[in-house]
Amino acid sequence: MADQLATDIISKIKAHAEPSGEEITTNTELTALGIHSLELTEIIFDLEEEYGIEIEMNTVDAWSNLKNVGDMVEAVRALIAKKA
Amino acid sequence: MHKRVVITGIGGICGLGTNASAIWGEMRAGRSAIGPIVNSELHDLKVRVGCEIKALPEHGIDRKQLVSMDRFSLLATIAAREAAQQAGLMPHETNTFRMGTIVGVGVCGWEAIEESYRAILLEGKSRAGIFTVPKVMPGAAAGHVSMNLGLRGPVFGITSACSSSNHAIASAVDQIRLGRADVMVAGGTDAPLVWGILKGWEALRVLAPDTCRPFSADRQGLVLGEGAGMVVLETYEHAMARGAEILAEVAGAGLSGDASDIVAPTIEGPEAAMRFCLVDAGLNPEDIDYLNAHGTGTKANDQIETAAIKRVFGDYAHRLSISSTKSMHAHCLGASGALELIACVMAIREGIVPPTANFREADADCDLDITPNVARERKVRTAISNSFAFGGTNAVLAFKAV
Repeated sequence: MADQLATDIISKIKAHAEPSGEEITTNTELTALGIHSLELTEIIFDLEEEYGIEIEMNTVDAWSNLKNVGDMVEAVRALIAKKA
Repeated sequence: MHKRVVITGIGGICGLGTNASAIWGEMRAGRSAIGPIVNSELHDLKVRVGCEIKALPEHGIDRKQLVSMDRFSLLATIAAREAAQQAGLMPHETNTFRMGTIVGVGVCGWEAIEESYRAILLEGKSRAGIFTVPKVMPGAAAGHVSMNLGLRGPVFGITSACSSSNHAIASAVDQIRLGRADVMVAGGTDAPLVWGILKGWEALRVLAPDTCRPFSADRQGLVLGEGAGMVVLETYEHAMARGAEILAEVAGAGLSGDASDIVAPTIEGPEAAMRFCLVDAGLNPEDIDYLNAHGTGTKANDQIETAAIKRVFGDYAHRLSISSTKSMHAHCLGASGALELIACVMAIREGIVPPTANFREADADCDLDITPNVARERKVRTAISNSFAFGGTNAVLAFKAV
């Protein structure tokens, strides 16, 4: 069951993915999305405005550790928690 | 003796059409595609005309690449795909490092610049788009073409304002002559119909208010256009060995610098480039049938270019067929030379000299045969194409029938 943050991120990813693509869940591999890695990073940065936070994240660091959408959600969750 | 370099594929996109044969069809009909700019936000601009691509064709470039491209890179890639398809180019593991691409770019990815400045300075956004840097860089077009076609040989961008295409093609010929590659996909691109660029050109006061009338006494300046042209170049032997259809030969190139003024052209610079080109191609002035002029439609360019042509060709200058196809596709800056290559190669192939459209009034300072308004049938064995530029960077190419 996806929580609010996961739902938010997935809906943002959907807006950037091929419309005919498969259902996106937290288990979806990032490489399977057909989305440029920089574009995925930008989706995370879009959350800054939404949550009124500043995400300090280096693009290279971000992508060396993240495998699927769930990892992305958890990475953002951790950053939000740190800022709170 | 140089290796012979031939053209086996041509692609093009500009206001005249979204593929090379459509562009040529309009050129030979003498139809100008210059008109009101409707796709760009013009805001406070006084300039309202240009030569724009009203709609892009189905191009088959995947979304992941598309999202990282500025328009100038997209246009180059569309044209390169057309050229590669015509040439039957099939890069694979054993030949991919012998195939490269060089793309001439006069400006850069200004769509991304415009978007970022407007978002940050006018809309209060805190950051630029994440693709801003890779979209803007002038070398991006070459990178995208290489990625799209799978070319792993020499890959780089070339920039020399309005002569970028011709410098790119000359440099691609050199890569082949030097043995660094067997095949090069080369040409030029630009997408300058963006407020910031047009605003700059407006300040220069060289833009015509209505249309481009090269060599006409009532000419009022140039018109900007967007587009790209790309060709597949390879050695004659390579083309023959793989059974490719040869469209024409790039007989030679001539390069020179004015070393004079950043905007005002000289007679000597263009003259030298044309002479060097003839020498490189092993041709005499009398061998040339058609000259595609730089012909921007500014008072200075057309007059000085006429004088330079007379110095190189002497009395024969009056028997030369000349035209400026910028009257039809406008000045597409870094793409101009590659679009004009289409005119030269097709003139050779079909024996038709495309005209200078929009011509109204003879000018005593431009008294050569500039093929006014209507195409002319003439056997064209060889053609040369002039490109001069701000910065005094002159590049002339010669083409001949095979």
